[in-house]
Amino acid sequence: MNEDAIRLSGIGKAYSGHVAVDSLSLSVARGATFGLLGPNGAGKTTTLRMIMNVLGPDTGTIEILGRPAAQESRDRVGYMPEERGLYPRMVVEEQLLFFAELKGVPRKEASQRLMPWLERLGLLEWRQRKLNELSKGMQQKAQFIATVLHDPEILILDEPLSGLDPVGVNVMRDVFLDLRRRGKTVVLSSHQMETVERLCDSIALIDRGRKVLDGAVSEVKSRYGKNTVVLAYDGDGAFLASLPGVVKVSDFGRYVEIRMSEEADSQLILREATSRLRVSRFEVMEPSLHDIFVEQVTAKGEAAA
Amino acid sequence: MRRLVTVVRREYVERVRSKAFVVSTFLGPLLVLGFLIGPTMLMQRQRGKPLRVAVVDATGALRAAVEQALARPHAAAGPRFVIVPPAPGDPETARRAGRDDVLDGRLDGLLYFGSDALNTAQAEYYGKNVSNVMDLQTLQSAADEAVVDRRLADAGLDGGRVQALTRHLDLRKIRVTATGEREDRGQTFFLAMLLLTMLYTTVAMWGAAIMNGVIEEKTNRVVEVIVSSIPTSTLFAGKLIGVGSAGLTQFSVWALTLAVLSGYGAAAGGGLPLPEVSPLLLASFVVYFLLGYFLYGSLYAAVGASVNTQQEAQSLAFPVMMPLILGFVFFPVVLGNPDSALSVTLSLVPFFTPMLMFLRITAVPPPAWQIGLSLVLTLATIAGATWFASRVYRIGILMYGKRPTFPEIVRWARAR
Repeated sequence: MNEDAIRLSGIGKAYSGHVAVDSLSLSVARGATFGLLGPNGAGKTTTLRMIMNVLGPDTGTIEILGRPAAQESRDRVGYMPEERGLYPRMVVEEQLLFFAELKGVPRKEASQRLMPWLERLGLLEWRQRKLNELSKGMQQKAQFIATVLHDPEILILDEPLSGLDPVGVNVMRDVFLDLRRRGKTVVLSSHQMETVERLCDSIALIDRGRKVLDGAVSEVKSRYGKNTVVLAYDGDGAFLASLPGVVKVSDFGRYVEIRMSEEADSQLILREATSRLRVSRFEVMEPSLHDIFVEQVTAKGEAAA
Repeated sequence: MRRLVTVVRREYVERVRSKAFVVSTFLGPLLVLGFLIGPTMLMQRQRGKPLRVAVVDATGALRAAVEQALARPHAAAGPRFVIVPPAPGDPETARRAGRDDVLDGRLDGLLYFGSDALNTAQAEYYGKNVSNVMDLQTLQSAADEAVVDRRLADAGLDGGRVQALTRHLDLRKIRVTATGEREDRGQTFFLAMLLLTMLYTTVAMWGAAIMNGVIEEKTNRVVEVIVSSIPTSTLFAGKLIGVGSAGLTQFSVWALTLAVLSGYGAAAGGGLPLPEVSPLLLASFVVYFLLGYFLYGSLYAAVGASVNTQQEAQSLAFPVMMPLILGFVFFPVVLGNPDSALSVTLSLVPFFTPMLMFLRITAVPPPAWQIGLSLVLTLATIAGATWFASRVYRIGILMYGKRPTFPEIVRWARAR
């Protein structure tokens, strides 16, 4: 039972000439929380749809829990598409049971499991209402219940946190953490790097249908080394960009982030800074996923252009 | 299999619970009854007021006879005309005066015979309203009768005797079937018409219901969640079966209503001249409804899957509607001559079979081999149509944006 939860081998998909996903290979370990990152149009949704067998790949193979994707393995996966979809004029309880039944859960059992979920997400007194009587946030929560009610081993969530208010985000994060504790594999796609950095233990970054990088979050970051300096100061810091070994200076107002080349010496920067400015903060750190993401995507874009 | 049942149940329960279903199922028969009985009742009420009519006769030989005929009570409604004496003076003056009276509303109509009316066989009627067909018909036959009687008398013949001798033949139509004979006063035609209209409207209605259901799932993006759980073919089949079952439920309610009504009618002394609806006819109605439903319903589903909104569906649904409408248009041809080569051919064309073969069954039962052949051909076409539609459906439900052209849809069907 130590095989991967999901393994994609060279999958590809093209729509009338446009390549959406190009020989993509990935694996997601069991129990991992995995982030699939990429800019809009990178092929995230197409990839998730292929994993869910909503679309058939043109090339390559998909294995779920060690077996080729089939009805049986689909029952053990819960899928929340980016475009949320429930029947607007159907009663909430009724349709959640319907979706669980589609996953092969007997109605009675689904009914028993439903109550705790409704309670936990605060939908208990809304269960006899039609969906379109609920607020957007509540509809999102109902959608999430539809995804987990059959107690899947793998959850595939396309942009799970978009459209939620801060309270909703917190509730969902607690649920994710709980799912992880219970050994569930969670795959989520996002372009909100902060979320991914906080929630995921491994990631893959894709752009234009191809994988740019993947691995454990810590490993990906350390691959880039401690090449970033955060500096807060009083005075005119315009000279920082021209110091030897400085690649880029990003000004965030209250502080700047300085990206260094590999051979640069952070101590040189510190010395120069203290000699000309009043430094209140100096820290050498790993780059954020956001920076890695932006750098990788723009680099590839320039190479392609 | 269990998942198919799940889809079927959802479709069925949601349909049957909907207001539209309840309304059309229970109000439908009432509406039909209203349409059938309403106009007759209104017409009878309107006929309450007799017309004031004056007769001006320049020949001097017709007025008495015409007035007498007009004053006769008409069926149960009583006399339809009140005779008003014409204005004094010569016929021309009387005619003018009468016309003025009509214009001023003192008179409803003026019947005028010119001096050579007996030779030319022409008369004139002046009225503000000349479209009250039924009353004018009565008036015309009264005038006609008077003129003919006069001419016969002038020729030395006895009008009453001639009328007796030239009485029209009353042709009784007796329908011979294997189970016996039965006099038919148009019930067969009426029944065929009624059942065909029902078949047509229900196939169109439930076909459109499928289409709208598919569009709803697509626009609300429910479909992606569903096809991530079950194969598209299961969803497609479940939808067809579920909606079709709702259609059959509606028929059952209607059939039961009809049975209760006709039972009631029979108990009340045959008040309603209900035509004979044999169980066999009912069974074939259901069979041909199902054939039509699956044939057109699957195509409607494909249309629904190809479009994004109901507005877009209108134009794409038209080619699907076309054969259905044509089948309905051909009905007089087939009913007039159910055994002709044309009727047989038309009724064997699968897209027409559900309506036209059923129509032939209501008129003259066709040979068994033709029924069998029609079933085989239609079932084969249904197999083809559902294959095509389910493939278009599979691709279409995940396609958003521009409405596809017909060649694109065909390409979808052929895609891997």
